[in-house]
Amino acid sequence: MTPTVDPPLPRPSVESEPFWAAVQKDELRFQRCARDGKLFFPPAARCPRCWSREWSWDRVSGRGTVFSFVTFQRSYHPAFRASLPYVVAIVEIEEGARFTTRLTDVRVEDVRVGMAVEVSFTPVAGGAKIPLFRPAGPMP
Amino acid sequence: MRSIDPQRARRLRDRYAIVGIGQSKIGKVPGSSALSLLVDAMANAVEDAGLRKEDVDGIVCRGPDEVYTHHQRVGQLLGIDAEFSTTVDNGGASQILSVILAVMAIDAGLCDVVVCGYGRDSWSRTHRSEEKREAVSLVPEEQTASEFGPEFGLFGATAQHAFGARRHMARYGTTQEQLGAVALAFREHAQRNPEAYLREPLTMEQYLGARRIVEPFGLFDCSVPVDAAGAAVVTSMERARSLRHRPAAIRGFGTFNNLRGWAADEHMTTTAAKRSGEKAYAMAGLGPKDVGTAQLYDCFTYMAMVQLEDYGFCAKGEGGPFAASGALRPGGALPTNTSGGQLSEGHCEGMLQILEGVRQVRGDLPPERQARRADVALVSGHGGHTVCHSSLILARA
Repeated sequence: MTPTVDPPLPRPSVESEPFWAAVQKDELRFQRCARDGKLFFPPAARCPRCWSREWSWDRVSGRGTVFSFVTFQRSYHPAFRASLPYVVAIVEIEEGARFTTRLTDVRVEDVRVGMAVEVSFTPVAGGAKIPLFRPAGPMP
Repeated sequence: MRSIDPQRARRLRDRYAIVGIGQSKIGKVPGSSALSLLVDAMANAVEDAGLRKEDVDGIVCRGPDEVYTHHQRVGQLLGIDAEFSTTVDNGGASQILSVILAVMAIDAGLCDVVVCGYGRDSWSRTHRSEEKREAVSLVPEEQTASEFGPEFGLFGATAQHAFGARRHMARYGTTQEQLGAVALAFREHAQRNPEAYLREPLTMEQYLGARRIVEPFGLFDCSVPVDAAGAAVVTSMERARSLRHRPAAIRGFGTFNNLRGWAADEHMTTTAAKRSGEKAYAMAGLGPKDVGTAQLYDCFTYMAMVQLEDYGFCAKGEGGPFAASGALRPGGALPTNTSGGQLSEGHCEGMLQILEGVRQVRGDLPPERQARRADVALVSGHGGHTVCHSSLILARA
């Protein structure tokens, strides 16, 4: 019997702390540069395009499309062994950022590049939430 | 991006050469640390050059990335105080970068004879059971992401490169069989290299039926972890001419780093190899048609395939059909990874491929392994979270 192992929890940096705080409130927020008006990711003190220090944590729709994806068939961490096979995707958020996450509520063989997905705030060990994505439902 | 100034690019063309190569045993080498393997390879390379320890006044190497001033430990074991010495940090692009730094240091007058090298003990450190591989990761703790990865089940280099393969498949219709053609071609070459670690025949059926790792990659899309080290000695062409072997002239080199990340723009389908290669071709005054054999960094099948496009051996999106045409095989239009590559000879972060490039342009390989046109060999290195790239064009002097 393999002992149950919890999946690793995110260890936020000073810069990413607001991202994770928003996720706990079921909000997906990315930094939007005040100068060029676009999102940037990963979290940073300056916009990597124009080096502006002026930005805000903007809430996004949580919708996007699959830019690319991979299917884990082999275990790299005991916490995920029972989930095999599972899909990790790079999701292009509607508003522009690319975010890597796990897809849920989908058969691995049904995932396609370009597929519409939406965020699903999912509780993990310890009660914290992480933003997984699932096939998008109909537009509200 | 600045334009490439041809005059400036060609200033160092053919002025430096690789004059000696050496390697350790490849495969399972129990009882040897990565450091011991590297020292073996370096001593062998200096001996191959017909030089003595006292002639070496520079060391450029890459260590386990978590080791502080690794080159100092290498120099201590070799018993050398060096005019120039450093460790580099570009992942799989480090090994060619070491050769480039050696040329730059010699050209700047800092030193005369530099030994470059890399060694690892990937077989001895890991074991091929699921539990051991989970427990003894090849990726050191410091390199594991603290967020935006592990919490989603994203681990390891295989997945990162597989994102590229999947994206390429979606954009250009690249198939699993085309990736398989890369693995099969390199295995065919490995069968002609007695030092290669994996030498048994590999069929398409076996490739397609192999254990899946992180799809679209199966077992034979992944390079093979081994204990191995390689080293090369760099000096000026004037000095090279009086040494034992026909020098492998350093005709061109280039670097590029997609530091904004693998997931930015279309970096995963047009890699840093493109710009790095353009600079190397400009320095060499050559183009893809002049290259007789390529030794491409193949941590995974896809990475060799996409570089065929980025180096201009075929059009963007045509890497799959080009590989499937048999071009990479022995006797093909572009015999590639003629020692078996990292997929079959063994993964030594591209170091062994520099050595094979040198052997090809020296022209002293047995006929079944010697490329038909081997006056110019292109060697590539890729790594550092899949964004760093370096290129080396070697030529028969």
